[in-house]
Amino acid sequence: MFEPATKAERKQYYTEEWDIKKLPEFINENIHNREFGFDHLGRGPNDRHRVFKNSNELKKFLRIRFPFAAYCSVAFYNKPRRRGDWLKSELIFDVDAKDIPIRSCDCDGVCEICLDEARQIVSNILDTLKDDLGLTDIHVIYSGRGYHIRILDKNVMKLNSEVRSQILKYVVGAEVPKSKYSSIESKERNYYAQEVYKKDRAPGYDKMDHYLIPFGYPAVFTKRVKYAITNMNGTEKMEEVNPKLMKDVLKYREMVQKDEWGLFKNKIGPIRYRNLVEGISKLNMGLVDAKVSIDLKRILRMPTSLHSKVSMRCMEVKNIETFDPLKEAVPKFVSERKGY
Amino acid sequence: MVLLSFINPLSDEGKQIVRENGSLNSVNEDNGDLIYAVERSSGQLDDIDNIPTNLIDLSLKRLECYVKKTYSPKEFDLNQYKYLFDKKIAKFDVISFYILAQAIAIKFGPASRESKEFVESQGFLIERRLFNLSNRESEEIIQRTIDSLDEVKWTHLSDLFSSKKLNLQELVLNNGNIILSEDEFMEIFGNKIKNRDPATVFKAVIQKETTELIVKSVIKQNIDDYIKEVSKNSSIIDPHPSLINIADKISKILKVGTNIEIKASTLEQDAFPPCIKNTISGVGSGNRNDAIVLLLTSFLSYARLYPSIFKNKDFRKVSDLDADLKITINEILPLIYDAANRCNPPLFEDDPQEKLNITAKLGFGVYEIPEMKHEGESKWYTPMSCDKIKIHLSSLCKPDATCKKDNVNNPLSYYNRKQWELKKRANSNNSNNSNNSNNSNNPAKNNSR
Ligand SMILES: [Zn+2]
Repeated sequence: MFEPATKAERKQYYTEEWDIKKLPEFINENIHNREFGFDHLGRGPNDRHRVFKNSNELKKFLRIRFPFAAYCSVAFYNKPRRRGDWLKSELIFDVDAKDIPIRSCDCDGVCEICLDEARQIVSNILDTLKDDLGLTDIHVIYSGRGYHIRILDKNVMKLNSEVRSQILKYVVGAEVPKSKYSSIESKERNYYAQEVYKKDRAPGYDKMDHYLIPFGYPAVFTKRVKYAITNMNGTEKMEEVNPKLMKDVLKYREMVQKDEWGLFKNKIGPIRYRNLVEGISKLNMGLVDAKVSIDLKRILRMPTSLHSKVSMRCMEVKNIETFDPLKEAVPKFVSERKGY
Repeated sequence: MVLLSFINPLSDEGKQIVRENGSLNSVNEDNGDLIYAVERSSGQLDDIDNIPTNLIDLSLKRLECYVKKTYSPKEFDLNQYKYLFDKKIAKFDVISFYILAQAIAIKFGPASRESKEFVESQGFLIERRLFNLSNRESEEIIQRTIDSLDEVKWTHLSDLFSSKKLNLQELVLNNGNIILSEDEFMEIFGNKIKNRDPATVFKAVIQKETTELIVKSVIKQNIDDYIKEVSKNSSIIDPHPSLINIADKISKILKVGTNIEIKASTLEQDAFPPCIKNTISGVGSGNRNDAIVLLLTSFLSYARLYPSIFKNKDFRKVSDLDADLKITINEILPLIYDAANRCNPPLFEDDPQEKLNITAKLGFGVYEIPEMKHEGESKWYTPMSCDKIKIHLSSLCKPDATCKKDNVNNPLSYYNRKQWELKKRANSNNSNNSNNSNNSNNPAKNNSR
């Protein structure tokens, strides 16, 4: 398991196992508007700007070339060969198991444990994308070493990088929500804030920590912090969190698991609590590869293709709650290997 | 209670008022009720001629107020237009809104500058009017406006997010909808809030400024849609003569806005090299992106701010030369955007993110517009050399005599040399007093193919 595939195995995969019918419909329709890229030697996708008029052409190509890796663009173009006349791009969240900031295994690449943690993170992000942002047409792809969330909702496909980056920060909980809310009228507030006091000392401000607000972004943030505190093992590196604080967090984390946030904050102390959530918000930014989310012209591993480095199938996941890559994404040739 | 249509003229109430009072036959006639309302609300007007006496007048004043405030703020005197922000004129204001909207839709169409300025003017009026109302009144009218609008999806406000006027985190979202009304909030989240009064939490978390910003933007979008609809239908019905008549006056008022941009420019367009002139007149799809983003952006910014960069070899930031970025934003970017819009197809239509790349090439990172806080996140890109242009943008490179001179090896050295040539020629023309038509002062004409 997780061994590279030989050239012969790649060939076997694309001639015997690869099935055109398994290509997801969202790739198949308008396939002619996407750019394809291939890695033939295992040194990165150098063979780019390829275009296929239909899936049969793609099939022929894969059978003849059985590439090390196959990719296609998240963007749709009128002239995909030159990446010209951009039409729209999927919105992507890329969760790679080997890069997730809090993992309980200490494997080198990926293993069963971190793959399952990546799956859990994807499931959390999906909830927010649906419940808060109301997005539809969302597809989850198992990439071989993690997951891609690919969103083809027509309301987001034309959004620029700036908006995509805001969505990313929202769904992963990458910023500590503000905790001061004004309770007085805006005109008076402006007066106090500008003329009389410095902003944070102005009267009429209500202090409300994120866990007291059970809706909107603060609620998302609370869930992400709870996940982080529950899953951390004490070796995570955060500038704001020293070993003593880390020890106390682990000691009292049961309170967080029982949603007793006030008690937990009391035990930790308000300043150290602030440091902790600040540190976690920065870790959260690493849950997803931000470069991928803001890049409108990126190419991504193509579903149904073979991830040759680990001998796993890249494939669409129908049910993220029950998906087990070790059962469903292992190509036939792996089980035929000696000593499997 | 303040009329809802004072803020949202497209509300059912607004449409009702127009149906009852909006006969276009009388809009040119003096309207005693209107004059009375204006006089009562404006206190003392310096100039009695400034009082709108009929509904057409009022429409034009609406637009004029906005244009003056935006394009000549120093001479602008809000007191001259006090009545526009007084709820007493609400009924007349609605009718004047529809006069303007229809005239603009029919005569200029939805994509026109007139349309855009009109929509902006309504945004300005909404802001000012809310400000003038008492807290209680403004809160109440905003709630009623929200009730009169359809569901607001966050995806409809992507402009506000990309310009950073709004952050996704500030909104309360449920299933893609932005929760703005207290009733809806209570229904969805009321029983989740413990130990606190949900109404207080609503008031604290959903801030009035944010709500006002969203409401304003949705109304502006609805006006946009209304103009599109009227424009589409106008081919079927013959427009009323009063509407055609007012359109010319609208153009005149908006002229003020355009003049200023040209006056401020000190770029000498006659000295631009052929490749730049060709880029400015619009590029076909092949070379389009590179021509605008790489060639034109770097050329215009250096030509305007720092033409001697290659001589000095002392690299600077844009803000070293344009401290408040006024020149960059008011002069350089509009020229680049205009050229981008002249491309076929228009650059930002199918490649909206190229706006971000233009900002990046000016040294302000990947954002919609240059902002001081982002300066240095990328490099201020210097103009490419003639050799590079010849290879990558060959269709734009049509060398003339100046291009072939010895020290001309990039568009900027062309510009410097040509400015000097033009000056020399102008001087000698003056001293000889010759009138040789071959020695034209306008190289653009010599250049035409
Ligand atoms: Zn692992």
